[in-house]
Amino acid sequence: MSVDAASLDAVSRSTRGAAATLLEAKALSLRAGGAERNRVLFAGLDLRVAAGERWVVVGPNGAGKSSLLAALAGVFAIAAGSVRIDGVELADWAPSALAERRAWSPQFWSDPFPATVRETAALAHRRDAGWRSALDRRGAPEVERILDRLLLDALADSDVQTLSGGERQRVALATALLQGAPLLLLDEPASHLDLAHERLLVEVLLAHAAAGGAVVASVHDLDLAWDLASHVVLIDGSGGVVAGRRDEVLVADRLGTVFGVAIHAIEVAGARRFVVAPDAAARSGG
Amino acid sequence: MTTSSRAIALAVAAAVLACIAGVLAGSSGFGLASADIMASIRVPRVLAGFGAGAALAVSGALMQLLTRNALADPYVLGVAGGAAVGALGAMLVAAAIGVQLSEWGVAGGAAIGAAAASALLFGLLWRRFASTATSAGGDGAAALLLVGVMIGSGCSALVSLILTLADEGQLRGMVFWLLGDLNGATHWEIVWIALAIALGVVWPTARELDWLARGDAWAATLGVPVGRRRRTVLLAAALATGAAVATAGAIGFVGLVVPHALRRLGVRAAPVLLPASAIAGGAFVVAVDAVARTIVAPLQLPVGVLAAAIGVPSFIAMLLARPAHAR
Repeated sequence: MSVDAASLDAVSRSTRGAAATLLEAKALSLRAGGAERNRVLFAGLDLRVAAGERWVVVGPNGAGKSSLLAALAGVFAIAAGSVRIDGVELADWAPSALAERRAWSPQFWSDPFPATVRETAALAHRRDAGWRSALDRRGAPEVERILDRLLLDALADSDVQTLSGGERQRVALATALLQGAPLLLLDEPASHLDLAHERLLVEVLLAHAAAGGAVVASVHDLDLAWDLASHVVLIDGSGGVVAGRRDEVLVADRLGTVFGVAIHAIEVAGARRFVVAPDAAARSGG
Repeated sequence: MTTSSRAIALAVAAAVLACIAGVLAGSSGFGLASADIMASIRVPRVLAGFGAGAALAVSGALMQLLTRNALADPYVLGVAGGAAVGALGAMLVAAAIGVQLSEWGVAGGAAIGAAAASALLFGLLWRRFASTATSAGGDGAAALLLVGVMIGSGCSALVSLILTLADEGQLRGMVFWLLGDLNGATHWEIVWIALAIALGVVWPTARELDWLARGDAWAATLGVPVGRRRRTVLLAAALATGAAVATAGAIGFVGLVVPHALRRLGVRAAPVLLPASAIAGGAFVVAVDAVARTIVAPLQLPVGVLAAAIGVPSFIAMLLARPAHAR
């Protein structure tokens, strides 16, 4: 996997000049809840996401990871700065045209009514198909392909309300992929996933980026962040933010300061791994 | 055939059978009656019942989608409560000033009451829906439920007040109206027009309702004008409910049970669920009314009582059969 990531990095480096910019944020500032009177989450974020890149958003709870993703998607009020998709300001996009270019997957989904996994995955697929799609016996071939890819084929006819958290998470990824947009904005796509399915997630997202797309995703697991990311946005939770290449941002000292724990970085098979040093309580607690 | 097209075929067959039974059933027993009775009583009654049931079921499906709540029905809007206040108020006032009230008078009172309650609902929610959907701004589902339930509670207090003020002679008519009664319902045109308008306004963008049910912000990223869509759907539901209640009284359980049962039969997508609800809801009310007219003939039961008698146990059975949530 890490070999995969490294080779893709090489590809994205060599094509840097040519790769199209899918998303650009300039001097972006956000406030909690998007309201003017609330505290500043972070200020002055610049980033430029090109095709082939995977940007991972990292930071403590409440730092503003979800708010950043929602703001990039256009459903969270921006305090200052600008967000452009394909070079066009968010506000200047026709909403349905924007849906062709970026898909946003929220952290929490509401499943108020019974629906199969296949129906849920295909929710945003072929958005102009109207009622005929509801009468199709099987989904479109594309739907079946994505369900297979995410190992959901055996669950395709199950009720989405009966799934485990990790299974539901894969359905959410299927929904986002089937929207058909090159830019994926995913809020905690790895939550509830077991180790094998985390690998699957990384594999699928790397393939999506390699095929000309791009990913911006918030992640809690730093090792997973390293494997997925070409670039990282680190929000420190006290108003600061850094964005850059993963090897520049995912640095043990910096992470230790932001998260308030001692973190060591070690090399395993060419990939960086992060280990939290046990504190005094943990050492004596055994 | 897919599960949903099979369910729709089933609903259509049920509707045809129910209408045949409805035309044949009378307080004089089953069978053909004179052409005059057929044309002036039975056929209009079947049409009124079908239209009211269809409008209530469509309104119920819309309210469930808007509130993301499988237990929502047309009456959570408070519009039916307003109609009840209007209808009973008209009966009370007519008796007080000594006017013999025609059926139109009661229906007119119900329509005015429904319109007043809708105006109140929209007045309170308009600004809430006007703000654009954001992931942080919460969304309209909870506000809609709370406001509707409060209007409904206020109306039911007024209904109790009117029942207290009414004299013995009026009480029977009022209670029958409240239970949902197709007896003497001959004005079927209005509810059909309201149903056609409601479906015509909502159906072309019905797929967006499935997206809204997943979250306002997510729907907004797919290009849904969230506030506008919510207002349109609410207006359509209020119109259908008001017309149905003015025609046939407050028939319960159709709006709750019919969309629910269709979902369990595999009809999930809103573009199919809405017309299927109309067909199945109409069939349900016509069939129940045919039974209500004949089961203790020559006495006629209010259709609402029988609808509840059938609706309550079937709904409980559905809830108990529902698989437990894994999360």
